[in-house]
Amino acid sequence: MFSFLLIVHGLLAVALLGALTHQAISVLWPARQRTGSFVSSLRSVPSATYTNAIIVLFIVTAIFGSIIYTEYRVSIRSTLRDYRLFIPEGSFELKEHFLSIGLGLLPAYWYYWRPSVAKDFSATRVIVTTLLAAIVWYAFITGHVLNDIRGFGS
Amino acid sequence: MTIGRALPVFSIAFAIIYIASVEYNLALITYHPQIFKWGLLAEAPKEGPAMYWYGWLLTSALGAGAIAALSLALPAKPFDRIWSILVWVVPLVMIAVIMYILRVYFLR
Repeated sequence: MFSFLLIVHGLLAVALLGALTHQAISVLWPARQRTGSFVSSLRSVPSATYTNAIIVLFIVTAIFGSIIYTEYRVSIRSTLRDYRLFIPEGSFELKEHFLSIGLGLLPAYWYYWRPSVAKDFSATRVIVTTLLAAIVWYAFITGHVLNDIRGFGS
Repeated sequence: MTIGRALPVFSIAFAIIYIASVEYNLALITYHPQIFKWGLLAEAPKEGPAMYWYGWLLTSALGAGAIAALSLALPAKPFDRIWSILVWVVPLVMIAVIMYILRVYFLR
């Protein structure tokens, strides 16, 4: 059961990571003109249209993660401690807290992407989007590495 | 977007309350995953570990919601501009604080 949830959690995380990375690149490094190249296309995605999908993906991914988290606390964390893998354990603790801060940031993220607000606070919109992207990247890599340590289905 | 003005305040307050909840264990609920039981406030571990994370999130969401609602009483100028800076400064500071709190994992 937890293996199935972990796969769904991972797939949702990939979708979230892709959407948020696209959006972050498009606001950090916007294309002045679309030339048709891959990089130009990446920089000129209609980033505002990603916002609601990113929020939904973030919340749904977090819900799946919060269910799997119980299994982590019961069996996986103890294994990490048995093997004295303190850095992976600490990295996962940080992931938990970073994602919580990210969850709390979602209402502001939504607000600063509203067309009526985005123009006046464009710098805030860029920084909040980049911060969320950094949180999701950290969480994705940490979760992936931790899963590799324990081994899938073990 | 009158009510929307409170959303950045929610995010700022959420980050602060969350880190305070972690540091002082201000969980409104506790989950005991080994025995599949929930408890009110921060309970000591029973059989197996106790999980406070859900409680910290709940504490933060309720606290931030109340503060965000109160912030609507403040005038838009100059506070909207102040929130637009604090909304990313505060989470960054809170990330630094939690890294400091958890530094023991990386120094063993």
